[in-house]
Amino acid sequence: MKRLLSLYGIAFFAFVYAPILLVVLFSFNANPINMMIWDGFTLDWYRLIFGMETSVTESSTYIDTTPQLYSAVRVSFTVALTTTAISTVFGTILALAVARYRFRLAGLYRALLMVPMIMPDIVLGIALLIFFITIGMNLSMGTIIIGHCTFLISYVFVTVSTRLAQLDLSVEEASADLGASPFQTFRKVTLPSIAPGVMGGGLLAFIISMDDLVITYFIAGTGNTTLPIHIWGMLRRGIKPEINAIATLLLLFSIAVAALGLYLRSRQK
Amino acid sequence: MDTDQNRAVTRTFSLRGLTSSPFERGRTRQTDDVSGFNMPAPLEIIGAHKAFRSPEGATVTALDNVSVKLAQAEFMTLLGPSGCGKTTLLRTISGFETLDAGDILIDGKEVTNQPAFRRPVNTVFQRYALFDHMNVARNVGYALEIAGKSKRDIQARVGEMLELVGLEGLGQRNISQLSGGQQQRVALARALAAKPKLLLLDEPLSALDKNLRQKMQQELKTLQRELGIGFIFVTHDQEEALTMSDRIAVLANGKIQQLGAPDALYTKPANLFTADFLGESNLLPVAIERGVATLADGQNFPCSNESAKGTLLLRPEVLRRTAPSEPSLTVQGTVVASYYQGKDCLVDFESPSLGALKANLREFKSLPERGETVSFYASTSDLHVINEVSS
Ligand SMILES: Nc1ncnc2c1ncn2[C@@H]1O[C@H](COP(=O)(O)OP(=O)(O)OP(=O)(O)O)[C@@H](O)[C@H]1O
Ligand SMILES: [Mg+2]
Repeated sequence: MKRLLSLYGIAFFAFVYAPILLVVLFSFNANPINMMIWDGFTLDWYRLIFGMETSVTESSTYIDTTPQLYSAVRVSFTVALTTTAISTVFGTILALAVARYRFRLAGLYRALLMVPMIMPDIVLGIALLIFFITIGMNLSMGTIIIGHCTFLISYVFVTVSTRLAQLDLSVEEASADLGASPFQTFRKVTLPSIAPGVMGGGLLAFIISMDDLVITYFIAGTGNTTLPIHIWGMLRRGIKPEINAIATLLLLFSIAVAALGLYLRSRQK
Repeated sequence: MDTDQNRAVTRTFSLRGLTSSPFERGRTRQTDDVSGFNMPAPLEIIGAHKAFRSPEGATVTALDNVSVKLAQAEFMTLLGPSGCGKTTLLRTISGFETLDAGDILIDGKEVTNQPAFRRPVNTVFQRYALFDHMNVARNVGYALEIAGKSKRDIQARVGEMLELVGLEGLGQRNISQLSGGQQQRVALARALAAKPKLLLLDEPLSALDKNLRQKMQQELKTLQRELGIGFIFVTHDQEEALTMSDRIAVLANGKIQQLGAPDALYTKPANLFTADFLGESNLLPVAIERGVATLADGQNFPCSNESAKGTLLLRPEVLRRTAPSEPSLTVQGTVVASYYQGKDCLVDFESPSLGALKANLREFKSLPERGETVSFYASTSDLHVINEVSS
């Protein structure tokens, strides 16, 4: 039984990680035409991304899209950082409001806040597009940010709410009892206590925003290509080996963000 | 006498000087006289009313016309069954509940409508409510940090407080690294750090085991005497209340049933509730006529109560096996059960004329057997008649 379980474990990890490992492996493959055939180790695809000298020559089969890549990265970061800031602040405030103040329909309110999380991306994308067109808003980076915020606030709301539910209310009373004004209590007791939740929600929002393709695709308009849209575009023009390098870098970045989150959380304790 | 009072006054003033800074915005309504010798009561509650709406829509009266005045440096206990309003009363003093009617004065200043953070009282919470993202020292120094004291002052005071509660050297510990008893002490040190005029304690010992609990009872009492500040202590443990308090307020259904010194409450309760709630009791109806009370079995004894009917409180421990030389009552019955308890022995017996009774014997040669016929005596000076009959 034990052996079966460990076999299952190995199979599971292989299933999950093999494709990712392949991408990482291919990003070092020198073969420019067919990445399934190993043609020796190279860092060319990374050099290409960073605009360095490479042995890859431009030809009819290969067009350098590095400038577009840079622009996409810039757009993605701008969008992700802005949405993270906005949705973290508003998601946290909403979570506090729902947890702290008893008002009629609080349950309904809570349920409505969950909806964007379970709503299919494609529905949300279409709905947002129609909404922006109806109110006559031109598609821009602004619409991407608004669109991302609509569902990322929900993610932050949920992570912060979970944390708040574990927080003993009497701790806030103790703070007031010791002379702290409501604002001081918030800053010195409530916020530090829910900080891991706020941070977790923020990181989640950042990663989801960086990664979103479907919704963004509907509301990006032209000229606001985010990294996922750019990669999608590259794929449609044929898989180019540098995609593996981009994917590997994205992977590294995500791991770094997650590690940062874990580190900050452990330092909290 | 005079010098004593003088010292007390200077002490209070220095306490005030330290506590007032974060709280000084309160309205002032001094009730003390100008000479300064007659200090205002640390706490005065006048006609407090508080009702809650239960989720089912019914109205629950948690406080019903409660009036209390605390004396200087008094240890007062709020005692009563679950749901009688003890916590509610404490929370209206600390400012977490607002009164529907009535007034609260702390140290002579009206605070009825002041928010909790402006009131110069501190609380030891039942489940401690320590800040677990801060270490012990920061917990203890929190009130001073909020009041904007300098780092050096805070550090000095925190050291002092930790020493006071016997936690020297544990300042850098995390809360999770402390035992329950130690957390209790941190909560106490934290509440005392800002030198409040009045300390509120909501069942602070209920989470501790029996030995630790008794130790803490003594320590708290000693601490209160040394600090010379008022304590309002909530408990539903009557023994705890009897040992620790200067006065006990017995609460039931949001009303103060009786307020008085522990021995007075125990030996001379004013009503049936107090008699029954404090300790064990035999309650026997009596008819009173011209200064003589008569029991159901015809025995009588002198009684100064005015009413025509009353209830005799016969504490189990006033019953003895040997007839005293002074005038006494005799009760006879058949033993139903007897329990050996080490230093004493509890006897349940059934009297044909007076019903089920219990006796608590300190001196006994042998345990009365089940079915044995026994006689007990109580000297009439140990009797107390309550002007109330059970319905
Ligand atoms: N926030 C509230 N909402 C509704 N009813 C309340 C609220 N707080 C207290 N009550 C009710 O008021 C009454 C007094 O409650 P309180 O907490 O003061 O009792 P207590 O004497 O402290 O009891 P315990 O010994 O169980 O702690 C109870 O009937 C309780 O149900
Ligand atoms: Mg209570």
